[in-house]
Amino acid sequence: MILKISKQAKGELVFASSLFLLGLFVAWDTSGMDIPQGSSIISPQTFPYMVAIFTSLVGFVLIIDVLRGRLGTPEGDEPGDPFMGANFKTMAMIATAIALHVILLEIAGYVVAATVCFFGVSYGFGSRKYRKDFGISLAFALIVYFSFTKGLNINLPSGFFEGVFGNG
Amino acid sequence: MGNSFAMLMEGFQTAFTPINLMFGLLGTFLGTLVGVLPGIGPALAIGLLLPVCLTVNPTSALIMFAAIYYGAMYGGSTTSILLNTPGESGSVITALEGNKMAKAGRAGAALATAAIGSFVAGTIATLLLAFGAPWMADVALTIQPAGYLSLIILAFATVGTLLGSSRIRGLVALSVGLVIGLVGADLQSGALRLTFGNMNAIDGIETVTVIVAIFALGEALYLASRHTLLSTEVIEMKGKAWMTREDFRRSWKPWLRGTAIGFPLGVIPAGGSEVPTFLSYGVEKALSKNKDEFGKGAIEGVAGPEAANNANAAGVLVPMLALGLPTSATAAVVLVAFQSFNIQPGPMLFQTNPEIIWGLIASLFIGNTLLLVLNLPLIRFWVLLLKIPSHYLYAGITTFALLGAYALNNSTFDLQVALAVGFIGYLFRRFGVPVTPLIIGVILGPLAELQFKRALQISQGDWSILVAGGFPKMIYGILLLVIIGPLVWNFKKKFAVKK
Repeated sequence: MILKISKQAKGELVFASSLFLLGLFVAWDTSGMDIPQGSSIISPQTFPYMVAIFTSLVGFVLIIDVLRGRLGTPEGDEPGDPFMGANFKTMAMIATAIALHVILLEIAGYVVAATVCFFGVSYGFGSRKYRKDFGISLAFALIVYFSFTKGLNINLPSGFFEGVFGNG
Repeated sequence: MGNSFAMLMEGFQTAFTPINLMFGLLGTFLGTLVGVLPGIGPALAIGLLLPVCLTVNPTSALIMFAAIYYGAMYGGSTTSILLNTPGESGSVITALEGNKMAKAGRAGAALATAAIGSFVAGTIATLLLAFGAPWMADVALTIQPAGYLSLIILAFATVGTLLGSSRIRGLVALSVGLVIGLVGADLQSGALRLTFGNMNAIDGIETVTVIVAIFALGEALYLASRHTLLSTEVIEMKGKAWMTREDFRRSWKPWLRGTAIGFPLGVIPAGGSEVPTFLSYGVEKALSKNKDEFGKGAIEGVAGPEAANNANAAGVLVPMLALGLPTSATAAVVLVAFQSFNIQPGPMLFQTNPEIIWGLIASLFIGNTLLLVLNLPLIRFWVLLLKIPSHYLYAGITTFALLGAYALNNSTFDLQVALAVGFIGYLFRRFGVPVTPLIIGVILGPLAELQFKRALQISQGDWSILVAGGFPKMIYGILLLVIIGPLVWNFKKKFAVKK
């Protein structure tokens, strides 16, 4: 019955199956829930079970939909072939830049984290004018840092600039 | 009616204080600025600007929000016309005709009819909102929990199945949203769900983090995987952004018709601004004497859908304010903005916070007028923004989105959540799953559970209360029509084809 499964369909099958599993997972988590004493008439488990069933059901229907050849197509009218293979290398660069921001923020401070992230994303999107890119990244980070900490009184981690800029 | 008018006048007094007027002006400016940037739609624009507003007092902040709301809508249409990259579904049609007009050297007329049309539609629709929302709130006060639950389920069904090209994919998005909404402590019992022993997760996942991450990070990851950032062509604008007498003659009826289509479809949860703009386009095409111009740059095809889009945006605010039910991503962000000031939109709002709500409605009028006055002359400045190289643009959006996610609670946990949700956003984009149902699920899921429990507490656990009474029955009746109607329609079409 299932003779030809294209590369895209395979990817989408994984997506649909993980949705189905997500539903099962929610059900498993709900079954092990610690219920505090003196709960009301309605158990706190009822609604999560309903969500779990709904999620698995939807995942199951999606699996069937994909097997019947109805694949999801990305919306929007951007140029390029929508079915050409994804470029995971550039995607990984963006993801790394974001992850570095998360890691660096409280260790090295906002200015460092934002500069690295901005630079990383623009590199990922193909910019190779390193000096200019770095200058713009740093300027962006500094402008945001000072307008938020000084202008709006929103605290951002100062990191090792603590001594230089005061406790922003 | 008379009471609403008096309250509205008081609202204008609130909005017209110098400080609030200044925030309105700032909001208009920021909203347009962020809305003009390609790749940023109104929902993301408001989400990104939320931390900026958190430091001012609630009234001023919400006035600023009202201005950002309309400003972002307006900015989006500029991008569609000059760049042909609609930032959100409501501007797709504008891009269709508007970009053709711009290519034919009529960018000025297209921008003007979009701006004036948005103003006309926004003003009429806000007036309808000012008188309609209090009325709806009065009615809503009599709705029981079971009735409320039926309304939420109707919103789930319409947003989930009417958006995008595939019904099942809308429901996929909704289910993931509901799961995200489950995370944290149960409101009534305090039982922990899906927290995995993480203390930060007890308070649940911030809706703003989800919105910002899914739109900004998900989109950046998707575009990176596609390599489609390389070149976009900004069309040079010649002359002023103004229209001729002939343009006016051809535009005013589409403006009014667009308003008539957009507003009601915003009030009932019809699934975003896509449907009304497409409808308006269809109507204008059918009624136009210049049918051959459609597809090549017909001004009616910009005037009608732009008016419909703006009227729709005001219409969506009616159930959002009166019932606390957002039915679009943008309304969802505005709801979150209210909640971050501990104001809960809903039927009680008009009684508990009349000053804020009427100040807000009044500033919608003011913001709308400011937009018209400011933006047509400033258009050359906005066009400059379109020339920012796209790698810097996305670097800026990504970094600023992370800031927005962090600044809400000063917690890196929110950043980790943002990264995870960004990845979900990428998968959704990749497999053609719409994101709005997810956002609606995150916001309305916990509300649905609350009403569900309240209903069952009233009935002492008897489930039949959920469909008892006239109101829930009526809503579930509508729900059946919404779900079964299109199925029958499709079947008929297939049948007709076979014949």
